[in-house]
Amino acid sequence: MIAKTTHIKDTKNLVGSLPAIRYMKPKYLYIAMANARCPKADLYIKEGDHVNSFQVIGMRHGPFFEQPIHATCSGTYVGLEKHYHRNGKLTDFIKIKNDFKETFDHSVKERSDEEIKALTKEEMTEIIKDCANVGLGGSSFPTFVKFQTDKPIKMILVNGIECEPYITADHRLMLEFPYRVMEAIKYTMQAFNCKQAKICIKSKYTDIKRVYEQVLKEYVGSGIELCCVGNYYPQGWEVEMIRNATGIQLKPGELPSSQGIIDFNVSTMVGIYKAIKYNMPVIKRFITVTGDGINYPKNFRVKVGTSIKELIPLCGGYKHPDKEKVFILGGPMMGASVPSDDCIITKTVTSIIILDKVNYVEEPCVRCGSCVLSCPVHLEPVQIMNAVKANDKERIKKLNPLKCVECGLCAYSCTSKINVTDYVKRAKIFAKL
Amino acid sequence: MIITKENAPHLRRKATVTRMMVDVLIALAPTLIFSLIVYPINTLVTYTISVFIMLSAEFVFIGLTHMFPKDGVKRTFKEKFIHSYKGTFTQNNFLSAAISAVIFTLIMPVAMKLPDGSIIPPIYPAIVGSLVGIVLGKLVFGGLGQNIFNPAVVGMLFAKLCFGSTYVYYADTWFFKMPDAVSGATPLGLINDGALSNITEYQTFDLFFGRIPGTLGEVYKITILIGLVYLLVRRSADFRIVVSYLGTFTVLTLVAGLALLGLGTGINPFSFTLYSLLSGGVLFGATFMLTDPVTSPINPPSRVIYGMVAALITVFIRLFAALPEGVGFSILLSNMIAVVLDHYEWSNPRFNWKNILAMSLIVIVGALITFLALMYGGVYHG
Repeated sequence: MIAKTTHIKDTKNLVGSLPAIRYMKPKYLYIAMANARCPKADLYIKEGDHVNSFQVIGMRHGPFFEQPIHATCSGTYVGLEKHYHRNGKLTDFIKIKNDFKETFDHSVKERSDEEIKALTKEEMTEIIKDCANVGLGGSSFPTFVKFQTDKPIKMILVNGIECEPYITADHRLMLEFPYRVMEAIKYTMQAFNCKQAKICIKSKYTDIKRVYEQVLKEYVGSGIELCCVGNYYPQGWEVEMIRNATGIQLKPGELPSSQGIIDFNVSTMVGIYKAIKYNMPVIKRFITVTGDGINYPKNFRVKVGTSIKELIPLCGGYKHPDKEKVFILGGPMMGASVPSDDCIITKTVTSIIILDKVNYVEEPCVRCGSCVLSCPVHLEPVQIMNAVKANDKERIKKLNPLKCVECGLCAYSCTSKINVTDYVKRAKIFAKL
Repeated sequence: MIITKENAPHLRRKATVTRMMVDVLIALAPTLIFSLIVYPINTLVTYTISVFIMLSAEFVFIGLTHMFPKDGVKRTFKEKFIHSYKGTFTQNNFLSAAISAVIFTLIMPVAMKLPDGSIIPPIYPAIVGSLVGIVLGKLVFGGLGQNIFNPAVVGMLFAKLCFGSTYVYYADTWFFKMPDAVSGATPLGLINDGALSNITEYQTFDLFFGRIPGTLGEVYKITILIGLVYLLVRRSADFRIVVSYLGTFTVLTLVAGLALLGLGTGINPFSFTLYSLLSGGVLFGATFMLTDPVTSPINPPSRVIYGMVAALITVFIRLFAALPEGVGFSILLSNMIAVVLDHYEWSNPRFNWKNILAMSLIVIVGALITFLALMYGGVYHG
């Protein structure tokens, strides 16, 4: 079929209407020492030490920033254990035995509305940096870096699109915490001193639309509005979102802030709300456990650091346990698959997708051109693939694979079932050399 | 339970190459069935020969390219066979050879005349053409997905060059009987020989339903159009190629018709255009041969240019050359251009002013050449 692919079949409607189950009292919690952006970390506590919720127990060191590690429950530090991290690597995790007392660290304090009104942008940036807020849509880009921009910001976009199939974590968050989202937008607008903000959602989500139409009545005159954009994939990519919400087309590599726009994921917004209102880092998040390899797909609200193994029985266990499974953290188009179910929910895990493994047989490419038609950045994935196969560096560079956003549409739309995205990723490595 | 690691994306679209190939076969089916009804024996004989030769050539090729490496170990025939064919000879190899065979059958002449005067089904052209088509047109390049030229066209043209003088385009059937005036001249031959005043010989209705002398399947425009609509609805053929080819062809023949009117031949340009569209292999080529994804370019603008170039060459060969097979040659020539259009230095998946300029230049220059050559070039000698 020679056609542009825009829609991906998913089971979102099934799971999106289910409430999120609160699973807040696991026996042990695991907090990652290092992550993809911060490869090194220091630990401030010894084995047997008592920790409080939100206490700073260590410091991750990134290339240009430092990120404090927070305990997500009160209890005793037991030791380091190796588990699978979201990026698919075995990583050291700080194991904390929960004492179920939920004693808070002294740093947690509620700010009154007057106090918040008095905060400047620099103070807010400092708070967000101390609370280690990162982009919770999956990028884990530190939020304070976005706050540090010195460009004038005219508009704030809140990304509630969640265009990847299967995931409904942000959907539930938007339905259940609309006031936190609105307050966070107010704080951010105050920080950037801008007058306009848009909450972007897919136009097919009528339930979210109804909720926000009600909530927005309380915020008349604040400049916040709801913006329904397209239903296709990859609508949630910031360039596509900005184009459909504001009409501005960003050039490849151009930052949104240079056009006076700043965009945040909706769960990042809730994190910002918690940080500014209560000085709390993110310790809870919404997560979707779904896929055709599990009996009853469900949404959860869990503590960061919960082991995924504990959630599987709550979903009725695996469907067809004799079949080979693929275990994906993140969306099925861009998420990484892990080789074991022994992995931990970190801040940026939006979903756990368990699929029955399908072995696709690669046929020879018949040059149907579906990948070229589907590519959202107008690359020629098949030509890049041929260049990689021919090992022709000159050609790879000319075809400009660095524009690729790794959305996975080229492999998804391939009629020969070739994993074109893999070749393009390899071409990106070549082109960087 | 086993958990395996795989690279993103973890979902795939349902559409497969197999589906596209089956679609082409379904689209070819009405024409093939019609041809089987009108010339049962001739079609069946040609079809059997070409399917047998093309499939066995593909089969032998797969076996040769997937042999065990020579390492001195003795193996049984069964082991060798399984190693060569398991997972390598897929349904796609089978289907692609079958499609080539059907297309090849439908562009073969109705019959051939032996030196002793007896008229038989086109057995020898079918054998030579299908063998050359599959081997030189496809397998020497590396098989499925690697070929530059359309195998059916390569075979048809080779057979035509070898056996062209023996071809018989007309046989009496229940479907139509030939008026005696022009003994078996195809409608295209009339254009080509400059016998343009005779083109009223064939009614539009007859052209449309294939009541004309010609090849086994190319002449039934009605069934070809059904196939074209099916392919476009199922998106198994790229509409860009079809539209640009037929559009450019219409424009150029209209210009040629105007030039002929200016020469005082008394030809109505519109009926000339319709006649040109419905005669020969224009519709068949546009539907089944140009749209073959393997031999067409990848980028949408390149596909449009590709269709335009093919139309230009078709018109030029029809009007100015001594050969009637304009569509076949134009398809082969534009197949060669397809690779150039996709060269990485200038390929671009989006329409921009550069490729729109190239497209308009092709049409304008083509129309100018057609008009000037007919009016002042002395090409027309009817």
